[in-house]
Amino acid sequence: MHDEFHDQLIALLPKLRIQALALTRNRAAAEDLVQDAVANALAAQDSFTPGTNFAAWMHRILRNRFISTLRKQRETTDIDDVPMASFAVSGAHEDRMVLKELSRALGRLPTDQREALFMVVLQGLSYEEVAGATGCAVGTAKSRVFRARRQLQAWLLGEDRPMASAARTAPERPQGKRAHEANGLGDPRATV
Amino acid sequence: MGATPRPSRLDGSAGGKAVAETAFDIWLSRSLHQMFDRYKDEDIPAEWLRLIEEDRTRRRGG
Repeated sequence: MHDEFHDQLIALLPKLRIQALALTRNRAAAEDLVQDAVANALAAQDSFTPGTNFAAWMHRILRNRFISTLRKQRETTDIDDVPMASFAVSGAHEDRMVLKELSRALGRLPTDQREALFMVVLQGLSYEEVAGATGCAVGTAKSRVFRARRQLQAWLLGEDRPMASAARTAPERPQGKRAHEANGLGDPRATV
Repeated sequence: MGATPRPSRLDGSAGGKAVAETAFDIWLSRSLHQMFDRYKDEDIPAEWLRLIEEDRTRRRGG
């Protein structure tokens, strides 16, 4: 059983790295976050129920670790953009400029929206899995991804008032944690 | 990965909004993969693997 846990953890590491980047927007911070989350997961592995969703369990640990770290650093650190130099982007100047615009826009998104967008688009998680990993309702997960897409579209295409139409189309229902939601971090409940 | 054309605006035709939004979503997905997939392919830091393997060994022995 323990071998399976460790194998699952190793297999998930590349995706955890991407999710850590989504949260921190900083490569060095992302690496630290994953390492800390791995240590937390190993310490808490007896609380994982085999046969349940390991990826969601692990993402919760990563997320809670991020929240904990952010609280400690809030007064001294702002979230940086991932440096464009770190993107292995080839192609024309125009292509790079578009991606740079996208990178800036991603940095402006609320953390919970960027996190949900990355989970769905880059990791292929279902809305149910995103909800499980972030401690929100499935409808909220859908709404966050929807809002992220529409906001990015509005910024990149220069459209006005995107969230007005987004709110009409996919309202996000409060989960009773609005104070923390204001930080864009969702439910702060710890799992480990 | 190929070129990353700028996402197109809505075309203004009847039903064009839905089509354009879908096109933007496709462009966004492709661009995000272009930006971030390399991180998935990078070597895993040895320190992460060491932590995991040491724990595995300890639990086997325990």
